[in-house]
Formats: sequence, structure tokens, C-alpha cells
Amino acid sequence: MEPVPRKSELSRDPVAVDFEALRADFPIFATGQQPLHYLDSAASAQKPACVIESINQCYNHDYGPVHRGLYPLAESASEHYEAARRTIAHFINAAHPDQIVFTRSATESINLVAQGWAARHLQPGDEIWVSQMEHHSNFLPWQRVCKNRDARLRVIPLDSEGLIDLEKSKGLFGKNSRLIAITQVSNVLGTINPIREIVASAKQHNIPVLVDAAQSVGHMPVDVQDLDCDFLAASAHKMCGPTGIGFLYGKSDRLAATEPLLLGGGMVDEVNIDSSSWAEIPARFEAGSPNLAGAVGFAAAADYLRNIGLRAIEQQVKSLMLLAYEKLSSIGGIHLYGPAPGLNRGGIISFNIGGIHPHDIAHIAAEHGVAIRAGHHCCQPLMQHLGVSSTARASFNLYNNERDITALVAAILDAKRILGHR
Amino acid sequence: MSNDSVYKEVLLDHFHNPRNKGKLDDMDIVRRGSNPRCGDEIEVGIACDNEVLETVRFRGRGCSICLASASIMTECTTGLKLQQARQLIAQLQQWFNNPNSEMPPKENLAALGTIRQHPARKKCVLLAWQALDETLDGIEDRN
Repeated sequence: MEPVPRKSELSRDPVAVDFEALRADFPIFATGQQPLHYLDSAASAQKPACVIESINQCYNHDYGPVHRGLYPLAESASEHYEAARRTIAHFINAAHPDQIVFTRSATESINLVAQGWAARHLQPGDEIWVSQMEHHSNFLPWQRVCKNRDARLRVIPLDSEGLIDLEKSKGLFGKNSRLIAITQVSNVLGTINPIREIVASAKQHNIPVLVDAAQSVGHMPVDVQDLDCDFLAASAHKMCGPTGIGFLYGKSDRLAATEPLLLGGGMVDEVNIDSSSWAEIPARFEAGSPNLAGAVGFAAAADYLRNIGLRAIEQQVKSLMLLAYEKLSSIGGIHLYGPAPGLNRGGIISFNIGGIHPHDIAHIAAEHGVAIRAGHHCCQPLMQHLGVSSTARASFNLYNNERDITALVAAILDAKRILGHR
Repeated sequence: MSNDSVYKEVLLDHFHNPRNKGKLDDMDIVRRGSNPRCGDEIEVGIACDNEVLETVRFRGRGCSICLASASIMTECTTGLKLQQARQLIAQLQQWFNNPNSEMPPKENLAALGTIRQHPARKKCVLLAWQALDETLDGIEDRN
């Protein structure tokens, strides 16, 4: 499989992209339930035909075991898998493909760092820092490793706008701080965190930084060398790729200091009765038969987004968010969470309407063909900060349009009519 | 809105005008049900006389379906013998576990029927009923 020629997302003029035409790339809008106003991309994004087709192509024509055979099909399968790794490495501008470990998900990637890296290096009294807006997947692994190692889990608080408050984070760059694990984009507030600045300060004190990039990779240009982070985790399915595959990026020295979590086939060099040695990185972190079709689909998604241009996608989604923010703001009784629209906000809007449970809003929206999320969004510590048990959430991606926002507003007004005070 | 909307008039009436909702201080026994995933929290209290549910009351917060179901429950179970209430709870649970069964266990419960097509909201319906079941456990333990 020839890699798709790459175009620099920065050199492309965003205005030139016809996003309305791109909707046709997504079969679900033609063949799925109608009408479908899909505003739940922060949970999982829809898939373009080229991704689905790449997976079909893999199973129909190219399928074989990865790194396990000497016949042509096995060799080409191995090559497709490693080509996908190169594509993902290039997509986030990793210095070397070996810095990309394929995992099941961003969640698994973070757990790998928590158990494989942090558990080995934490001493009693050490601190791991997360923020109050973290998804449970970037919270629970640290909570557990801290408990097990008698370390302290510290939390970067949020200000009233939903931005991280570094001034109130005394000790963040202190002598006990061993790791900062923070999301690049909040899956609830839409807040875009200043990762470069955090990494720059952390670096002065030799504190590694892990970035949860589940909501940022594929939604905006993400360059790991520019961020200079130590670890970065993301999933394919939130960036128009298949479910069941994600990656961990790690600087080479950090990965070298990480123990594999899963032991088994494909990750060993030599196995003896008494002792064994691990294969090279990244193979040592990928025990078991690799997810070839997933990797191929993931790479196809990365190529698809890159060809559109990440800057263009970011701008398109932002303009949808701004329009939605403006329209939602005019609804009486609505409370919008997160920072006012500005440079530091991505395509996610969480909201509540006084007296109406978010699950009712989402259910009535569903009856209008509008797919939104309601609940705590796997962010209970954030819900505690906001003083609510749940919110409704609309999230945008490149295939959304103004009609989706109009339908959302109509659905919310209907929810108010049905369930509002009589 | 489609005809199979769950937000039918009977259910909305119970949501907007809940029956038997209020203080539980004078109840014989009170049990709490919660669903942290949604933030729903319902307390159910009962007062019994001679093995009969004299009063069934609730208070709490939740989505419209959770609150309407609690309100409907108080109406359907007040005046029942404890054993009959147990039976009705079991029948309701069965009705929800088997969305193909047509007849509701009691006519007044028909308004909850459309929700059976939405498994994600089953817990909203059953929360108050499970709390009621626990109050019956409490009465039995006491006896």
C-alpha cells in the first residue's frame, strides 16, 4: 500500500475547503438513521468511506499475520502495519516511528505509562499532578499508582471560567513533582490548555509531561516535537478512524524506561525457563497479534484529515462552535460551561437548562434526530467543581453544519416546552 | 416529535404534578436509591398498618422519567398488601426485562411502556421501585 502523498496542513488555505461537500465522504449521513444531526463527535467520530474501504481492502486483499511469517502475504501485512506506524508518527511529527506504540486506546496508553513507567519511578512522598478537568482515563490510573506507591495525587484547580489556574498550583514545578498528566482539550469544557507553556516550565525542573490528546489529535495540528511533551496518548476513533486502536507517543528515553504491561507473543527477544529479554521498542509494548486492520484504518483516517488540512478543520469546527455558542446563549435559562469563546476553546459545548435533567434534554433531542451526550462525561471530579451531577454536551466535527445547530436549538426549545415549568 | 415519544401526557402530568411527593419524617421506614451516573436520588418512605401500605411517599431529584415513575408508583401501590406490592415490583421488573411482553402488569403503568424501548433509561424507571422494595425488606426485617 502506497502512503498517500502528504500536504502540509499549514500551507493549505482553509477557505478553499468545501466542508459541505466533505459530508458526502461519510456514508452514515446517507445510509443511517434519518435525520441525523450528529453532535457527539467528542464521544466518537463518524467514519469516512476511505477509512471503511481501507479496512475492507485490508481484509479482502492484504490480510496476514504481522511480524510472524515469511510468505509474501505475511511480509506485506507486516509492511502495512509498519507503514501505518510511520503515517501516525508523521501525523504528529514524531522524530521517529519507533516512538509510536499502538495500543487499544488512549486509555490503554495512559495506563501503560502509569503502570509501566510511573509505578517504577515513584517514591513515597512524590507527587503526580493532574488537572480538575481530566477525563477518568487520565485520573484513575494516577490515583491508583499514587495509592500503591504512597505518592500524592495533586490537582491543578480551575478558575471560574474553566481554565486551569497555575498560580494556585503551588508545587506543580516543585521538587516532589514527578509527572504532570494533563489533557490538551477538555472533553466537557472545550478548554484548550497551554501545553507548550506547561512543558516549558516543567522541563526546567526535569518533570516529564504526559498529554491526553484524545480530543486534540485529528482536530487541530498537534506536533509532539513542538509541544516537547514526554508522552502523548490518543485514540483513532475520535479522529474518524476505527475503534479498538490508539497510540502512545513517548520520547525514546522515556519509552526505554517503561516496562511492558502485557507479556506474550511478539514482544520478546529471548525466552528461557528462568528469564527472558524483551524485544526492541515499540514491539515490546505490543504483545499479542497486532490489530492490522485497525492500524491500516487509523492511518487512512490520518491521511484523510491531513489532506483536508488540520488547520482548516480546526477553523471550521471553531466557527461551528462559535455559531452554536451564540445561538445557545440566546435560550432563556441555559447555562453554558467553560471559557467564553476565544482562542482557548475547541468544538465542545456543555450546557444545562434550569430544572431540566440533561438526560431528558438528550432524549428529546434524540426524538428530533439530534445526537448529543448527557451525563458526567467520565469527568466526575470536574462535575464536582461545577456543582452539578451531569451536563448535556454538543460537540462538533468537520462534517457538521449550520443545520445541525438549528436542529439542536429547536430540540432544546422543545425540551423547554415539554418539561419547563408550567 | 414522533408518536413514539416517551414524553406522553400521562408521564408529563406525573412529572409536573407529582403525587405523594414530600416530607418523609412521619414514615415508618425510608430507603434511598441513587444512580450516581445520572445524579438521580430518590428516597421512598412507607407507612403500614396491618400488612397494608397505608402511605407511599417519595422525595428526591432526577430526570422526568425517574420522578414520574416514582409518582406513578406511589399511586399504584398505596393500599396494597405488602405481598401484593412485592408482586407488582417483580412484575414491573419482568415487564422491563422482556420488552416483547405486551400487557403492563397494571393499567396505570402503561404510560411507562414506551420507555422499555430505551434500555439506557430502564434504571430511571426502576430506581424508585427498587427503593420501595428495600423498604419492604426493612419491614420484614423489623417483623
